[in-house]
Amino acid sequence: MIDLEPFWLTAKLACCTTLCLFIIAIPLAAWLSRRSGLFRTVIEVLVSMPLVLPPSVIGFYLLVVFSPGGAIGAFIEQWVGLRFVFSFEGLLLASMIYSLPFMVHPIQAGLSSLPPTLQEAAWSLGKTRWQTLVQVLLPNIRHQLLTAVVLTLAHTVGEFGVVLMIGGNIAGKTRTASIAIYDEVEAPNYHNANIYALILVCLSFLILFILYWSNRKRGHYPMW
Amino acid sequence: MTHQVPFRRSLRIAIFRGLLGIARVNKFSTIARVKKLLGIVLLCCSYAIGAIAQQKITVAVAANMQYTIEAIKTRYHLTDPTEISVVVGSSGQLAQQILHGAPFDIFISADTSFPQRIAQASLAVAPPRVYAQGVLVLWSVRKDILPKPDMALLMAPGITHIAIANPVTAPYGSAAQYILKKYNIYDAVAAKLVTGESITQTSQFIATGAADIGFTAKSIVISDAMKGKGVWVELNRNDYPPIEQAAVLIRQPVANPAAARFYDFLFSAKSKAIYQQFGYLVQ
Repeated sequence: MIDLEPFWLTAKLACCTTLCLFIIAIPLAAWLSRRSGLFRTVIEVLVSMPLVLPPSVIGFYLLVVFSPGGAIGAFIEQWVGLRFVFSFEGLLLASMIYSLPFMVHPIQAGLSSLPPTLQEAAWSLGKTRWQTLVQVLLPNIRHQLLTAVVLTLAHTVGEFGVVLMIGGNIAGKTRTASIAIYDEVEAPNYHNANIYALILVCLSFLILFILYWSNRKRGHYPMW
Repeated sequence: MTHQVPFRRSLRIAIFRGLLGIARVNKFSTIARVKKLLGIVLLCCSYAIGAIAQQKITVAVAANMQYTIEAIKTRYHLTDPTEISVVVGSSGQLAQQILHGAPFDIFISADTSFPQRIAQASLAVAPPRVYAQGVLVLWSVRKDILPKPDMALLMAPGITHIAIANPVTAPYGSAAQYILKKYNIYDAVAAKLVTGESITQTSQFIATGAADIGFTAKSIVISDAMKGKGVWVELNRNDYPPIEQAAVLIRQPVANPAAARFYDFLFSAKSKAIYQQFGYLVQ
């Protein structure tokens, strides 16, 4: 019997991650695109680190830092009531770290490519910085915004290593589609593994197809 | 003396031109260059493989044996210099890999059924042999939790996460599941269970305190790496079917005598003493 729960969980995780990252990434990308200097470079490097670090590094530190045995983990559990290992919130935090560059990079590239005269004109017409960003700059980079959102969604769906390390494989809470496939292969239950994997292949194709199709006319291609 | 300087200069120019020439030629023959490089790499690899084939064996080891195997290796190396490389995983994972042609010489499992499967697939030289019997423990590093062999403790609301190895691929996990079902609390605690993919990951969940308590192998908790961390208790041996751990010598295209020697050593009196030292039961 095929259990579709891992897919709902994966969808939920991907949507929550994308939403949270979208909110964080816009101010971050705006800040990165208009500053220069050492501090900016340090932040930029930190944002890009998940691209090169293996997920096991992130998983390892999350496990050590956030386990209730550690000082930080105990503090959070006592004061916030959250436990970041073996929980959906933990996976959300991990995938936010892990997908951060996929959200920030396209937005940052889009903002940097806009001519500075655009925001200067908006300022001289009396718009505040925030109004300029939301009403003028963001609408001009909507293709990059779409790219960022779709890539983050897709990347979270494809996440495996971090979830394997801190998830604990709890059905309905941390058993995502990629983990379910791994489990079925190890069991070995190739029939189910095949069905799960096929669903993921089709989903990924669909997601990326939508992205490329909607970006086809303007010659905008996703950058990462 | 005066002639040396122009000579050196002309030599330098000659070398420079030569390099330039190579670069120019290679620019148009990338494929030839790659082919040549590939040839050299392959040649080196084949020499290397040929040289070590006779002295090196690879052993697939169930995670509960990961510390024990190091002690066995050290003891074995007193008399035999064969290089032994160890691959650790859950018994189910390793069996899967062997069935798909993983290049292991010996499979040391945590049960008898996974080696049996290898034998049924005609991948074993001889039927699996039991080398030791495993002991299941309940372990916690939390100061306020004192593990006891009766399962009532697990129902306590203060315990939110119980670590267990994946019952499908790890024999210690299936033994733990058996106990929970025997005490009729499996359904009640199912929501608290966090599953490690092998006994190693399960132990790591417990040792870091990420899980409040959990089921693992005695050989893990009394190893040097984990000694003195938290409190553990042996579970009643009548509560779960005996964990008969077996090993099997895997059939190779060319039999490796070094592998057969180490396989025999696993059942020697010397090895049995080490198993006992690590908390296993031996006949």
